[in-house]
Amino acid sequence: MKRSISKYLLVVFTAIFVFVSGCDEYLNVSPQGEITEDAIRNDPNAAEDLVTGVYNIMWQGNIHGFSYIGMTNIASDNADKGSTPTDAAATQGALDDLTMDPSVAFLNDIWTGYFQAIARANQALEMIPLSPADETTKNRLLGEVRFLRAYFYFKLVRFFGGVPKIDRVPSPEEANDDVFQTRASKEEIYEFIVSDLEFAAENLLVKEETQVGRATKAAAMGLLAKVNLYLQDYQAVYDLTSSIINGEVGTYGLLENYEDIWREVGENSIESIFEVQADINSACNAAIDVYVVCQGPRAGGARGWADLGWGFGTPSESLLNAYEEGDLRRNATIIFINPPPQGTVLWDGYRVPSRDSVENDRYNYKAYHSRTAEENCGNTGRLPKNLRILRYADILLMHAEAAFVLELPDEALTDINLLRERANLDELGIDELTREAIWHERRIELAMEHDRFFDIVRQEAVQQGRAVDAFAAHGKTWVRGTNEVFPIPQQQRELSGGRLTQNNGY
Amino acid sequence: MESTFYGSAKTFFAYLILLCSSTEVVAQGREITGQVTSGDDNSPMIGVNVIVPGTTRGTVTDIDGNFFLQVDESVEELVFSFVGYRKDTVTIGNRTNLSVVLQPDVEQLEDIVVIGYGVQRKSDVTGAISKVEGEELAQQPVQTATQAVQGKMAGVRVISSGQPNSQPDIRVRGTGSLLAGVNPLYVVDGVLTDDIRNINTADIVSMEVLKDASAAIYGVRAANGVVIITTRQGEEGKPVVRYDGNVGFRQAANLVEMAGRSQYVSYLEDAAPGKVAADDSPPLTFPGTTDWYEEVLRNAFYMNHNLSVSGGTENHRYYFSGGYFDEEGIIVTNDFSRFTFRANNEVDVSDQLRFGSQLSFSRGSGRDVELGNVYRNIYRAAPVVKAEEGGRYGNTSAWGNVGNPLLGLEARNSRNTFDRLQGNISLDYNPVEWLTFHSAFNTDVRMNKIRTYFYEYENDTVTFLSAGGTQRRENSQLTLREERSVSWVWNNTITAERTFGRHSATLLVGAVTENFNSTFLEGSRIDVPENQDLWFLDLGDPDNQSLNTSNGDRFTRQSFLGRITYNYAGKYLLTASLRADGSSKFSERWGYFPTVGLGWVLSDENFMQGEEWLERLKIRGSWGILGNDNIPTNSYITTANVNIPYFFDNNISLGTAIQDIKDADLKWEKTTQYDIGIEFEFLNSRLTGEIDYYNKETEDALIIVNIPAILGDPDNTYITNAASYRNRGWEFSLNWNDQISEDFTYSAGANITFNDNEITGLRGGQALLGGSVGQQSFVTRSDNGVPIGSFYVRDVIGIFQTPDDVSSYTNADGDLYQPGSQPGDFQYRDVDDDGDIDDDDKIYAGSYQPDFYFGVNLGVNFMNFDLSAVFVGNGGNEIYNGKKAYRFENTDNIEAEYAESRWTEENHSTTDPRLILSNTPASTYFIEKGSFVRLNNLTLGYTVPETAFDNVFITSLRVFVTSQNLFTITDYSGFSPELPGGTLDTEGNGVLDAGIELNAYPTTRTFAFGVNATF
Repeated sequence: MKRSISKYLLVVFTAIFVFVSGCDEYLNVSPQGEITEDAIRNDPNAAEDLVTGVYNIMWQGNIHGFSYIGMTNIASDNADKGSTPTDAAATQGALDDLTMDPSVAFLNDIWTGYFQAIARANQALEMIPLSPADETTKNRLLGEVRFLRAYFYFKLVRFFGGVPKIDRVPSPEEANDDVFQTRASKEEIYEFIVSDLEFAAENLLVKEETQVGRATKAAAMGLLAKVNLYLQDYQAVYDLTSSIINGEVGTYGLLENYEDIWREVGENSIESIFEVQADINSACNAAIDVYVVCQGPRAGGARGWADLGWGFGTPSESLLNAYEEGDLRRNATIIFINPPPQGTVLWDGYRVPSRDSVENDRYNYKAYHSRTAEENCGNTGRLPKNLRILRYADILLMHAEAAFVLELPDEALTDINLLRERANLDELGIDELTREAIWHERRIELAMEHDRFFDIVRQEAVQQGRAVDAFAAHGKTWVRGTNEVFPIPQQQRELSGGRLTQNNGY
Repeated sequence: MESTFYGSAKTFFAYLILLCSSTEVVAQGREITGQVTSGDDNSPMIGVNVIVPGTTRGTVTDIDGNFFLQVDESVEELVFSFVGYRKDTVTIGNRTNLSVVLQPDVEQLEDIVVIGYGVQRKSDVTGAISKVEGEELAQQPVQTATQAVQGKMAGVRVISSGQPNSQPDIRVRGTGSLLAGVNPLYVVDGVLTDDIRNINTADIVSMEVLKDASAAIYGVRAANGVVIITTRQGEEGKPVVRYDGNVGFRQAANLVEMAGRSQYVSYLEDAAPGKVAADDSPPLTFPGTTDWYEEVLRNAFYMNHNLSVSGGTENHRYYFSGGYFDEEGIIVTNDFSRFTFRANNEVDVSDQLRFGSQLSFSRGSGRDVELGNVYRNIYRAAPVVKAEEGGRYGNTSAWGNVGNPLLGLEARNSRNTFDRLQGNISLDYNPVEWLTFHSAFNTDVRMNKIRTYFYEYENDTVTFLSAGGTQRRENSQLTLREERSVSWVWNNTITAERTFGRHSATLLVGAVTENFNSTFLEGSRIDVPENQDLWFLDLGDPDNQSLNTSNGDRFTRQSFLGRITYNYAGKYLLTASLRADGSSKFSERWGYFPTVGLGWVLSDENFMQGEEWLERLKIRGSWGILGNDNIPTNSYITTANVNIPYFFDNNISLGTAIQDIKDADLKWEKTTQYDIGIEFEFLNSRLTGEIDYYNKETEDALIIVNIPAILGDPDNTYITNAASYRNRGWEFSLNWNDQISEDFTYSAGANITFNDNEITGLRGGQALLGGSVGQQSFVTRSDNGVPIGSFYVRDVIGIFQTPDDVSSYTNADGDLYQPGSQPGDFQYRDVDDDGDIDDDDKIYAGSYQPDFYFGVNLGVNFMNFDLSAVFVGNGGNEIYNGKKAYRFENTDNIEAEYAESRWTEENHSTTDPRLILSNTPASTYFIEKGSFVRLNNLTLGYTVPETAFDNVFITSLRVFVTSQNLFTITDYSGFSPELPGGTLDTEGNGVLDAGIELNAYPTTRTFAFGVNATF
């Protein structure tokens, strides 16, 4: 009996050994809860989903959020840092004063955000050709992604000048190669942008044939026109904008009320050429991070009210002075905080207290999103405001400038007067039409829309002294040869092992 | 003294030569015969060494314990020795026949060391293994056993925090990794784990730390050392009931004095001119000073009770215990309590079959505190604002300062409740006496529930003394998270243990299968009512800001192991093992981890027998390869993020993105370790000690490499096998035990470890940056040739005293180095000598890794009193005073000392600047010496004489008072020089960001009273 138990146990132990030693299979464990690259390859919807993923990155704060507002509006002569004197003095304050050094954190944020966006785009571009979808669809998807990539690079090249050209997904082994780790020239980047946009313009659909929110043929052409404006290829600007104005690539026009452009009623309007979509989802985060709240009116002084935001990026004195008497755009662009005792009643009926309880004199009206009259789900950090990236008025302004340079002043005058008419201003006469007048119109029309800093730098390249004077009027010093671009972030320079060269003067 | 040593050494070498030349000295003179028997059972003893002292002459006893030896007339004594028995020196006198009884050396016999998948006598061990008895741990008023090990073992550095339910950092022989974890592997009764907070210290019988390559038996998880914990088992006999308990209180051991009103106000005049004049009026401020630390800290009561029953019959042994631990936490909103239960059983089913089980269940619950923003704000909070009055809070944020930290703490209620079942069932089968089949199924089931509730409050006068500011929460929010992990390990081993004459050998082969599964489920809702009974997701707003997530993890390991231990006559020792580990975490699955250890017990050699002063002397050495695979499961597989929303045609569309950059060829880390050690017992075992030299070289170390943003990784990092580094050093430990009289014994022990950590290679030369301190960004840099986590900051060479100082500080071209500076600002050195001061001008300024660390243990037993003291400390390391450097608003408070010493027009300080603001760069100014000595534990006990219990059911009773962390001697100006990982909210977890004091929970001092009783 005892013997047989022993034998039995021996068999059991032997069996255990055989069992456990059996299988390498046991070690093949798939990742839990994560989609692998292989799964994407085999999914017919994967290409479409990856493209959606690229659009989504535009909600990130380091693409269109707090740091973006700093490096576009606050850095320009249209806005001041705002908020309390000390809040974000090291970041927004330095950008406002143009005293930023390479270690200012926002520089790194923006650099990181845009390159992340480009990487997402590159990942999608790599996968789309593997999709089982038909060629036309694939080309459209490729076009959308290349449009977005060009948009991101166009921002980068204007922020920093020449930057590394990442035209595909580098393998980890080659990632450290000089080709990726050093800066391509500004010209190479522009070439790259143009080629992406040309492809997009060719393969994208007109807006009537596509879903609202997607990049369209007109968007690609409009952005390409803007790129050409910076490249001073006015003929190209003229041709591209003319096609849009002539309705060749969809129906576009000016919205009747200027003040509606940035409100919910003006979302994806006839004037819209490309805008970042935001809406309601169950997590209540389907919007650009802090875009609205960081620019909202802030409590100060006597305080005592639930304020609307952090108060950054306040419209500057210099901008205020630029408005002509009676321009409707002034009150549509700026929230004025009144002296005591009267407060300011906003368009939706919300009353902001008087100046003794508010930190600053003015705020950006275009960034205001009504908590009561406009759709939202309560997350103040992510109020669903669509960011207008390109609108028809900008097309008219580009067209006007190109036409003027190409000595077609009548066309230019028509464009400008369309905008002035909407703004309830007198028409300009042909003898009043100068390039400066077009630039002035551009500043006013697109005020606080993240265009000004780049534009004044562009104007400086055309006409020396423009930026220097503009910033002098704003009480800041703009240094020629340095302030055209921002410093390359110190951290990225270190990570490149010093291969990223610094911009002049930083 | 010197000549004695010299003499001994000379004889030693003489004998060595004798031994090698095998010269036999022809015996002449008397013939001595005799028999040796065991004091145990009077049975004859075979193989006992019989030696003429001071010579190599001698013999061994035969199978009947008899011996025969010819000796010179002059020989007066013979020495009898046998492993496990006390050496006996017998005077011959006139006798020719000797009857010798050898007494077992109980101490030595019991000195069994757990070596992983088996045990070994301490005397046969070839590795560097430290051991602490459970009794020693249980008497300290700490919550986790590892805290009580502090200062007790050479080579083991323990860094603990005062936070309830926190696990101390343990570093065995230096920092062994960057990413793959630096804490050792814990093995609790065969269960492999990374967390032993569920173990009741009173249940522990011993804790061993495998420090050297002998840990290679645990293969791919052994590189940081292995801590083996064995829990109590009953012994045959009548039930013993035992109670151990202590109660006491804890308090913050050391606080930094912050600036009072006048100091703060005078500072603000420089930092924020006009601020005070504009805003300093009630109800926003008040005329007094708020000491924020006083507002949020308290003396915290704690108690710890343990009750156990153990005993056994002939074929069943048992140990049952229950424990209750309750602690308030010294931060007002902090608390923790824990129950533990244990049942250990051993049943002899037959002579050949034994069934065992060791099971523990623990349940803990604690309200934690957010040490990041909220706790950090205490340091920064303005002293001119009231903390609280009549249920309303001072409005610090309306003052332009941080949010009121007291409100911040109270407005967040986060409770973590865990249940954990851990244990094993095992079967041992001995078909013949020397062969054991062992199969054990170990499991560890953990369930955590984390419930976090944020109260809703407005910045109005209902909540605050004055309205305004940014501190408010518009919607209450509830987050519930349930985590569950189940892991199991199945060990199957066969052990053959045989002795042939003077050869004894043990062969072990085994297979180990491991499986780990975990999942979590999390949801959050806003607008959940304040009533705690309603804290469920159903009560929140389902449509707005709701979040539901769930995910999981799974990995497996399969291992085979084999080990031979061999010794010849207990003198020549060999241990060799090989473990093959397969891990699902890597694409290259298998790794092989060999080790070889050799030992030589010199004291058992005949030629050493004559040395009366020498009890034992052993030389040992080991070599082996150890692995570390403790990284996230999917580190080598590129995966996509899913359900990323966007809107087309105003409809939600869910997208996908591939973002993380992964290394498909990821491997485990490989550490090769050498160790040479000496163990000795001198002077009747009164003096014992060990000396070790080790060298650990790690290759293919996994690190998060910061990668350029151009690659698009969301956090700009990438895990790869890029680094190699080295830890080498010396360990010394010495213990002195002496008995002066029946009533008076004392002991003194000291250990010290010298460790030298150095990064020896970084592939691609890319240095790692870490330790991000606010606007100062990274303050450590780990590069070739420096220790891991070295501080890398600007070099302050002085303070500008006059405008002339600024204008005369120019480079070779005559340009101002610091054009924006003014008197009172730091003067930085142009380190790279390129004519300007920028971020390239940084120097390495030390690291948190000490040059040496030590422990001193003292004990005295006099009559019925016992007194013990444990000192711990370290030296030669640096601390980055991150809290002083972390400035966000100019209104942040400053330290009183700095307020007094800072540069002003009146006080031209040469050390402290006029202001420290958010844009003040990281510099040597913030680096301080981290050396300290601390009285870690002081205990005075009194054992009530047994005679007192003649008529009572108590069989023994000891009462004691004890204090943990009574005082610390240090130059460091912060709260504590002891900074466990995670004092920063960043990744790196105490490796790349070690030694930055920013979010540290204050170190506590404990006073307690306790009782140990058996019934």
